[in-house]
Amino acid sequence: MRRGTYVRWGVPVAAAAVIGAAIGAGPVIAAVSGDPVLPERSAQQLLADAAAANSKAGGVPPMSGTVQQTASLGLPALPQDAGTSPLSLLSGSHEVKVWYGAHDKMRVAIPTQLNETNLIVNGGQGWYWDSSTNTATRLTVKEGAGQEHKTPMPQPTDLTPQQVAERLLADAEKYTDVRVINTAEVAGRPAYQLVLAPKAEGSLVQEVRIALDGETYVPLQVQVYAKGSAEPAFQVGFTQVTFTPPAPENFAFTPPAGAKVEEKTLGDQPGEHAEERAEKAEDVKERVKVVGDGWASVAVLPFDQKELATKAAETPEDGERFGGGADPNALLDSVLKSATPVSGPWGSGKLIRTKLVTALLTDDGRLLVGPVTPEEITKAAGVK
Amino acid sequence: MSTADATAGATAGTRARRTPGLVPVKETLRSAERRPRHPAERGTPAARSPWSFWRLLRSELGLTFRRPRNLLMLAALGVVPVVIGVALRVVAGEDGMGGIIEDVAGNSLMLTFVSFSFLVLLLMPVVVSVVAGDSIAGEAGAGTLRYLLAAPAGRTRLLAVKYLNAVVFAYAVTAVVALSALATGLALFPAGDVTLLSGTTISMGEGLLRIVIAVGYVGAGMAALAAVALALSTFTEVSIGAIAATIVLIIVCQVLRAIPELGEITPYLLPTRFTNFDAVLRDPVDTAALGEGLLAFGAYIVLFGSIAWARFSGKDITS
Repeated sequence: MRRGTYVRWGVPVAAAAVIGAAIGAGPVIAAVSGDPVLPERSAQQLLADAAAANSKAGGVPPMSGTVQQTASLGLPALPQDAGTSPLSLLSGSHEVKVWYGAHDKMRVAIPTQLNETNLIVNGGQGWYWDSSTNTATRLTVKEGAGQEHKTPMPQPTDLTPQQVAERLLADAEKYTDVRVINTAEVAGRPAYQLVLAPKAEGSLVQEVRIALDGETYVPLQVQVYAKGSAEPAFQVGFTQVTFTPPAPENFAFTPPAGAKVEEKTLGDQPGEHAEERAEKAEDVKERVKVVGDGWASVAVLPFDQKELATKAAETPEDGERFGGGADPNALLDSVLKSATPVSGPWGSGKLIRTKLVTALLTDDGRLLVGPVTPEEITKAAGVK
Repeated sequence: MSTADATAGATAGTRARRTPGLVPVKETLRSAERRPRHPAERGTPAARSPWSFWRLLRSELGLTFRRPRNLLMLAALGVVPVVIGVALRVVAGEDGMGGIIEDVAGNSLMLTFVSFSFLVLLLMPVVVSVVAGDSIAGEAGAGTLRYLLAAPAGRTRLLAVKYLNAVVFAYAVTAVVALSALATGLALFPAGDVTLLSGTTISMGEGLLRIVIAVGYVGAGMAALAAVALALSTFTEVSIGAIAATIVLIIVCQVLRAIPELGEITPYLLPTRFTNFDAVLRDPVDTAALGEGLLAFGAYIVLFGSIAWARFSGKDITS
């Protein structure tokens, strides 16, 4: 090897190094420049400020950005044809674009390869556009049903934000260690991170981190860490965000020529249906039992495998709505196949483990689900 | 200067290959390295260097675009959008078709994007890698490389000419597909306003502009692929080896992309970025996706271009 050869091959090596550095530049720059430091705040102050910022006249400030959701729950392999169904959100990484103008002006777009799904809300009406079926659905929100669209913040008018924060924390601290990190950065913005760590030993959740923008207190990111892994098992948050009002075109939608237009009214369910649903909910509530408390609670519900299978087969309509291909039966089969049989003094059953949730299907027809270790869940199975 | 003249002479004839002469020329690393130490030796060519560079490129382009094999490949690619268009036209009348077929049936410009989405995965990369993979290895295999280098054209310059030639061909491939699809679309489907994926409608003029942007983006992607093929081409004297290696790489990338467990690495694979041209069909145009794609292409061009240079400038040319 000649000296010149080394020099020559130094060029591609240097190029690779530069490219590698550029890819890793974000973390490197963050490490070199140090974390952004916001004024220190206690959890109570932070929650009070956030509640105050979100309940004042303007509410959440106008913004637009890209939200990325990543889940590595350690689920058994899901059928691949899930496609764009909500089920596909349980694994892998997904990107959603968000434009937010005011509480009644927003657009959410899910771009996929040569396809796009849009939800546009403007005033009292909304549009759901699916380019793969070339269908625009006009959604009209019925008067009075709009209540649930308000920011889901606790805002009883008789309480000041400080009181709300106090009450929330008092409830939370029974089971949770709450602390605040003031050096986080999300989507290039300095942010406060509210860290909730369960006190319960048997919980699978290491901690939950909620990032609030340092300036506007808008929640920017939620991360759920499982015990024993450094990467979050579930994460949803902005990868890019700007707090400027988005262009008004984003909220105007006219169905394109040639598209199918459908009408749908939200909050206008036939009365009997609503009643039926309420009854069902009551029924389920009665049958569900919760063992344990706080982060270590386990839900115990009666479960009949055969019944579920027939039910799934009976309602093909629902299956179709959730993206066609995802056959609930196939899903159930694939999940059950990966279950490990377990037995103990409480009986025997099948155990399904994921990073955050453990489920136990006992042979005597009970389903136990909880964010706890397998030991905890078998203990709960013993509680009759 | 004799190289440019020799190649220019060759282009004049119908033969696509340079005829090897009987002059026993052998350029090795030693002779290549010696040259810069004698500035007087390259005094005159250096003065005329810009001209000789463009002349060399022109003669290369002439060879590339006159070669029957390349023309045949371009023609075959041009036929594909016609076939797609006719097929869609036949099924368009039936109900229950997917959105993309309805989009095409509703507007002639959409056929361009549909054609790209089919061809960009394999066929266009194959055609581009045939030309780029052949560029150095083909000369070496035919025994003409040392004559090209006998002239004081310089190895770096020859490599640059070869790469630019491949880039022009890559854009030609993209343009042929786009134009063929556009012509077929206009002939078979109604023209007019274009409906974007986001459901908004733009004028036909703006639609054409977006096609131009898409052509620029896809062409840049093909140019990045050409850099990979060129780098492989400098490692062998058998051009089919470089071509096959590039195609195998593309297929391996596509297989890796299809495995969901490897989702972590897919953003770094070149073919992942090829399909991002659909960003121009959104409203507003997803410039972030386009920019990221172009950055990735740039990175590939720099990395594999420098590998090609390091290998080629230090190689013993014995054939």
